[in-house]
Amino acid sequence: MRGSPRWKACAVLTRWSWALLAVVSALALAPRPVFGQTNPGAQAAAPTPAAPAPASGPATYVGSEMCQACHEDISKAFRANRHHVMEVDKKRGWDGKACESCHGPGSKHAESTSADDIRNPAKLAPRESERTCLQCHANQPTNVGRVQSGHGRSEVACVSCHSVHKTHGGDRGRARIMRINEECAACHASTWAQFQKPFRHRLPEGVMSCVDCHNPHGSLLPRSIQTVNANEPGCFRCHGDKRGPFTFEHAPVRMDGCQSCHQPHGSQNPRMLTRHEERFVCLECHANIGTTGIAKSGGTLGGVPPAFHDFRSARFLACSTCHIKVHGSHIDRAFLR
Amino acid sequence: MRLLLVCASLLPLFAQDPPKPAAEEKPVAEQTPAPAKEAAAPAGDRVISGSVDLGYRFVSGPAGNFDAYRTVVNLGEGPKVLNFDLTLVNPSSKWYDKITLFGTGWGGDPNEMTRLDASKQRLYDFHFDYRNIAYYNFLPSFANPLIDRNNFATQRGYDMRRRNIEAELRFRPGARITPYVAYSRNWGDGRGVSTFALDASNEYPVFNGLYDKTDRYRAGVNFEFTKFHVTLEQGGTTYKDDENLSTSDRNTGSRPTPFLGQQLFLTGLRQAYRVRGNSIFERAVATYTPWSWIDIAAAFLYSRPRSDVQYSQFNTGNFVNLSTFQFFTSQTQSATADSSQPHSSGNINLEIRPLRRVRVFESWMTDRYHTASSLTLSNLTIVTPQALSTLSADRLAINYNRQQAQVNIDLFRWLTVRAGHRYVWGDAVLRAPTENGGGVNRGELSQQVGLFGAQARFGQKLWINGDAEIASSDRQYFRTSLGDYRKGTLRARYQLINSFGLTGEFSALTNEDPNPNIRFDLASYMTSVGFVWNPKSGKRITILGDYTRSTFSSDLLYYMPQDLTPATSSYRERAHTGTALVDIASPVGAKYAPKLSIGGSFFTSEGSRPTSFYSPIVKLNLPVHERVQVFSEWRYYGLSETFYSYEGFRSHIFVAGLRLIR
Repeated sequence: MRGSPRWKACAVLTRWSWALLAVVSALALAPRPVFGQTNPGAQAAAPTPAAPAPASGPATYVGSEMCQACHEDISKAFRANRHHVMEVDKKRGWDGKACESCHGPGSKHAESTSADDIRNPAKLAPRESERTCLQCHANQPTNVGRVQSGHGRSEVACVSCHSVHKTHGGDRGRARIMRINEECAACHASTWAQFQKPFRHRLPEGVMSCVDCHNPHGSLLPRSIQTVNANEPGCFRCHGDKRGPFTFEHAPVRMDGCQSCHQPHGSQNPRMLTRHEERFVCLECHANIGTTGIAKSGGTLGGVPPAFHDFRSARFLACSTCHIKVHGSHIDRAFLR
Repeated sequence: MRLLLVCASLLPLFAQDPPKPAAEEKPVAEQTPAPAKEAAAPAGDRVISGSVDLGYRFVSGPAGNFDAYRTVVNLGEGPKVLNFDLTLVNPSSKWYDKITLFGTGWGGDPNEMTRLDASKQRLYDFHFDYRNIAYYNFLPSFANPLIDRNNFATQRGYDMRRRNIEAELRFRPGARITPYVAYSRNWGDGRGVSTFALDASNEYPVFNGLYDKTDRYRAGVNFEFTKFHVTLEQGGTTYKDDENLSTSDRNTGSRPTPFLGQQLFLTGLRQAYRVRGNSIFERAVATYTPWSWIDIAAAFLYSRPRSDVQYSQFNTGNFVNLSTFQFFTSQTQSATADSSQPHSSGNINLEIRPLRRVRVFESWMTDRYHTASSLTLSNLTIVTPQALSTLSADRLAINYNRQQAQVNIDLFRWLTVRAGHRYVWGDAVLRAPTENGGGVNRGELSQQVGLFGAQARFGQKLWINGDAEIASSDRQYFRTSLGDYRKGTLRARYQLINSFGLTGEFSALTNEDPNPNIRFDLASYMTSVGFVWNPKSGKRITILGDYTRSTFSSDLLYYMPQDLTPATSSYRERAHTGTALVDIASPVGAKYAPKLSIGGSFFTSEGSRPTSFYSPIVKLNLPVHERVQVFSEWRYYGLSETFYSYEGFRSHIFVAGLRLIR
């Protein structure tokens, strides 16, 4: 609450973060690089050797054929991988040495065959591993939400989910969807457990995947929810009838989203509701305390005056029996039609 | 919009690769940064491969409640095309390099899906996706005021199909300038049961016809260069909704007793909605890397959906107006309404790497809605022969902002710590309920959140990641909003040996709102453990499983509507969930080794709605020829609910079929 030591500490942090934003903006607009770093173009012009440069000199590029001599299985799988375009496309500058575009020059490794003499992005710290990928992928649409996403901030490296060598050409249809879900569930086990409840979106059946609703690279919306129609929640992609705009909006749908009443991953309650009986979903907000004026310091939105619904009657135990247009109504402010 | 569309359509004519000589001399980072969407197809002749799973499904039972079975499972009996896929690879074709087609669930299954991908390197990428999903929901316990009279027909149910088409064509994938066009359609039709309610006097379950459709068109162009990228997109939607309710039977509704000495009933109803909507939307997103130590990303998004409504209603019977206590026998209503919802969003994100081991994330976003609407309603009843027109308006304005800063520091090569702060603030204006005297309600949002986290990596054996949030809210919109909450997640992976790995996750969320009119206490804890054992890369056997224990409790004060006495809404859920799968490939018959899979899932809970849901499965796959496999599957579904035992069901499902492979 305002005035508490925790609140004051947070307020100070807010001010500092704005100051940080201002400083960073100024630095970004500075006419030349700062912090002694060079631009990526200059870096790429002389790619940093992967392994620590030995006294005898830096490692040099040896070409993919040399790699294939020992890593034949990887090389074979790689041919069906999308990254194989690096090997054959001369315009990208790595033709004939696609392996070294990520692993760095391999002459030392080729001589010693030691894993210490080659860069392995899978074993690097996420920061370094990510930079390897972003060397090419930084300026792409998928990267727009990275900074805002939980994965980006929590240092989940690209290689945690993406397999750079392998091909999943054999995984199509349901198998591909299941593989995506397995990939996500490997870390989000408790979320996957929610899909085992009886009322759920159909992920265990393999007809939906996590990325149908979430963008793992990040999104404008919290929880990396996909967007549709530019900035609307991705839920409306399939549930177009709930989109509106309605003459009379149900405010939580717009302000808190579907999850204010539903558990979209799965629920033991019908219609994936958050409570076992529908009336509690409604009454927890509509608590029959009229609220006018600014809702703060205890006042909240959604309060309604006494409706005199007699809860001893079964007729009033399920609100949506009468308030059928609870997602929003075109005709009636009370959502009766 | 038209100008943009024209530009987008002309762009392929101008989209050129960078001049070759210069490009070849430049280093890699100066080259086109994005790899093409498809790798070069392997050289060679045309290759056609694919498979089709043809089978027959037998459904035993289901014993118990058939409507609950259809609501939860809904698998039907009969011949099915369970899966099919086809791949054409032809690098020498001038029309395509690769075409893949796959589908699943054909033959009346509740989840049909088909996807087509076609591509020609440097020329186009095409994706088409079709889904047809059966929505059936007819649970006896849901919205059923007559359940205590042994009437097991819900008053809110539906049986419909929702279909979704998505198609996107991207020109010159991998080039610096990549235009694209896309179209999608989402539509649903079916029938259901819904209620006709004038007010609290009575409600009448009636037939409900459902049909709605949304078409979405969009086109854009993606510019990708070494230091920046820009995507510009323009689109639009059209929407229609033609829902109707009708009946011609006498219907006494849910009120069994007379009201003020008269029985209320409905003898006829025609109620029709005709909603038409449209929208434009625009999207501009960009990333910029001026120097190696900073990444900048920004987006501006705008949409403006609007809708026009025509509504008509004619009902006959015996009704009462609760505000005047006058009875009437027929009523005609018509209404027109329109609403508009301009919606702007934007964000800017920075990642700065001032030092080798330090990363700073800074992001700010805003999201602004403003719905304005009006309604004109004409009402004619026998009691008041003249038509009464009422005009009303509504508005909803929401401004949401979020600013977040975070620093990640690599303390050691194996340890990264992070800390940050998020500030969320906003305001909302909405019309107060009429009973509150109209006017407007204003809400404000202000929340400070401290962010903490760490990640430890011990080679590739052990990985531990933890995140925590501590929040303090000054103002919040709703009684159920999280105010002063604490949230934490701890995840770990341990690869004991190459063939055996363990995973674990623990998450907790607690919230408290001590306001004497709210008293909201929430606590949620989830603990998951899992393992995978796949010796020799799962050549002969793979065993995997996971188990989750979850507890959830929530207490929130509310007031009983009839007498405003305080009461507590309490919800409890203590659940055990598990999934397991054992894959065994027979060591005999090397070329035609049968494969057996045994597994399934269970969920069982105690608390407010004790529920058990079991779904074991056994699959057998028997290759009988290089191109033919016989498969069979047994699955069991069982649902039981302690308090709603009449909704339980159990069913055995058998599938047998052939997989033909080319």
